[in-house]
Amino acid sequence: MTIIPRRSNRVLLCLMLAGVLSWLMLDAVSMAPNRIVPGTPHRAHEVMGWWLSLLSLLPMLAIAALAWRPDTGRLRVALGLLVLLLAAMPLWLAAAVSALADPSMPQARLGIGPALWVLLFLWLLGVIELRTRLGLSRPMGWLLLVPVLLGWWLALSRWLEPLALYREYQGRSDQFISAVGHHLALVGAAVGASLVVGVSLALAMRRFPGLRRAGFGVLNFIQTIPSLALFGLLLAPLAWLAGRFDWLASLGVSGIGWAPAWLALVGYSLLPMVRNTYVALEEVDPAVIESARGMGMSRRQAFLQVRLPLALPVMLEGVRITTVQAIGLTAVAALIGAGGLGTFIFQGLGQAAMDLVLLGALPIIALALVADALLGALTERLRHGGAS
Amino acid sequence: MIELFDVTKRFGSETAVDGISLRVEKGEFCALVGTSGCGKSTTLRMINRLIEHSEGEIHLEGQPVRSFNEESLRRRIGYAIQNTGLFPHWTVARNIGLVPRLLKWPKARILDRVEELMGLLGLPVEEFSRKYPHQLSGGQAQRVGVARALAADPDILLMDEPFGALDPITRETLQGELRDLQARLHKTIVFVTHDMDEALALADRLVVMHQGRIVQQGRPIDLLRNPVDDFVESLLGGMDRGLKEAALTRVSERMMSFGPRLLASERVSYDASLSQALSVMLWHRVDRLTVVDDEDIPIGELSLRRLLGARSS
Repeated sequence: MTIIPRRSNRVLLCLMLAGVLSWLMLDAVSMAPNRIVPGTPHRAHEVMGWWLSLLSLLPMLAIAALAWRPDTGRLRVALGLLVLLLAAMPLWLAAAVSALADPSMPQARLGIGPALWVLLFLWLLGVIELRTRLGLSRPMGWLLLVPVLLGWWLALSRWLEPLALYREYQGRSDQFISAVGHHLALVGAAVGASLVVGVSLALAMRRFPGLRRAGFGVLNFIQTIPSLALFGLLLAPLAWLAGRFDWLASLGVSGIGWAPAWLALVGYSLLPMVRNTYVALEEVDPAVIESARGMGMSRRQAFLQVRLPLALPVMLEGVRITTVQAIGLTAVAALIGAGGLGTFIFQGLGQAAMDLVLLGALPIIALALVADALLGALTERLRHGGAS
Repeated sequence: MIELFDVTKRFGSETAVDGISLRVEKGEFCALVGTSGCGKSTTLRMINRLIEHSEGEIHLEGQPVRSFNEESLRRRIGYAIQNTGLFPHWTVARNIGLVPRLLKWPKARILDRVEELMGLLGLPVEEFSRKYPHQLSGGQAQRVGVARALAADPDILLMDEPFGALDPITRETLQGELRDLQARLHKTIVFVTHDMDEALALADRLVVMHQGRIVQQGRPIDLLRNPVDDFVESLLGGMDRGLKEAALTRVSERMMSFGPRLLASERVSYDASLSQALSVMLWHRVDRLTVVDDEDIPIGELSLRRLLGARSS
């Protein structure tokens, strides 16, 4: 059992206070008759009346009260309430839809307003804070997400058709699925390639120390080039190569599209990959390697059975950084026709359709978070029982 | 048996070991002592070829070490170092079984051997075999290190300041255990240390090194009595040499049968050293002690005169 000091949890108190303020003072939703006309914003009390909107503050006030004199039991209750709130948000949106719906406007769209974004953010922070305080394990943390996802799924599948974000999705669900696939494929190919090249490079640097300075110099330099500029720089040489060699062109290589995007992603991924691999291999305790050799392990055995496994957690950290970075960068790659979720962002920007932008941006954030969590869990597992 | 003939090691223009010759007999406990940088660790590592010597010959059981394959040579020699060098990602049992596994022993035999060694070094199997090195105390980790060095039952054991990083009490306990172990196993041990007390307590033979050369070697008592120069004398403790010598002799060797007088009130174990007996006398301001056995039963007495006077015996 975790020991919790009997002092008020100020983090939670502040989060809940900010939540109450944003609920009362910011716009919760906006309603637009169609995609082109900007929506009319509504505060919470305009949707459900003062009484109900004040009443709906009760859970947050209760959490604040529980955080005032916290102990394990109270914090558990607070966590439960937070999860309920997160799961209830889509249901509230559904209620807002039915309250604001106008049968004369079948194309009406409901936009999520700043109040709800802020609340979503604050509540998630609250969950993270409580998870740490209560010392919940990773799987428990994931389990907490289940009711929340269930709430959204339920609401989306039944009542939330007018939600603008959902409308944008429905209009291009096939496109969306293939964009996610494309995004992941590009990230996977880039991370995979940089893993192979990066590890080989790090090994070469260890073998030939002269290579180190030059190698890190070049990689550092690549990292400083802005991503758009790098895409641009690759345009001309790749177009030239594709024109020169037919087999490259038949593979789909050209000045724009996946080829320059992939190359640039690999370029950016190499520095964290090489640096982490190099440092990880280099920082294995020399006494351990010496004793491995002294016990009669061959160089190969000492490397494969001792140095590599001990370096693996730090190397995986490199894969994690690289993956998260590549997921973000691939969004920009849409500009040179590489496809992926970035396409929606730039389309949305072009049409001033913020919901379309969100349709691209939200999944990118989600993908990055999931990749981060999965690889983080893997690293932790490898570290477990191993090097302290 | 280990023999070094006129062995020299140079690192670039620096000479780390300068033409040393040394012979360690089978079953002998040989301690290499000296200040840091005197070449004692280098000498040790040249024996198992972690460092290749530049000149001279090193022989193992009469054969030059270079005639062996590097890895199989090392698998025949036990090796323990200061910070244990245990693999942090392996359990205790797996660490101990390392060399037998490299030698491709059958699994069951490795398992038996690991359990046998853990028993030998006072590490209960159920408690420790599944632990990882970072879950051990310094003394426990070093026991595992020694067990690992002994795993394939090598005739020769090389130990590089194995107890250097331990607190004084643990260190003394482990020294005692190593002495007992050696009394049973009769390994040929080369032991590097900068701690003269440790060397005196453990070694059959002391080899004092200074600036890459052997300054003096011989039985601990001979070095104490006749140091060749001021360096050896100061290394052996200068004015404390008398106490160090007394520390090498047991009370049982000097005690007498009971005299006509009453039993002395202060007691000392027959297994204690003369320096400890002297300390008891100093502390209680007495010149006579009753010697007792393990059950605290008086078996004789020791007088100050006897303690001092028997020096020539």
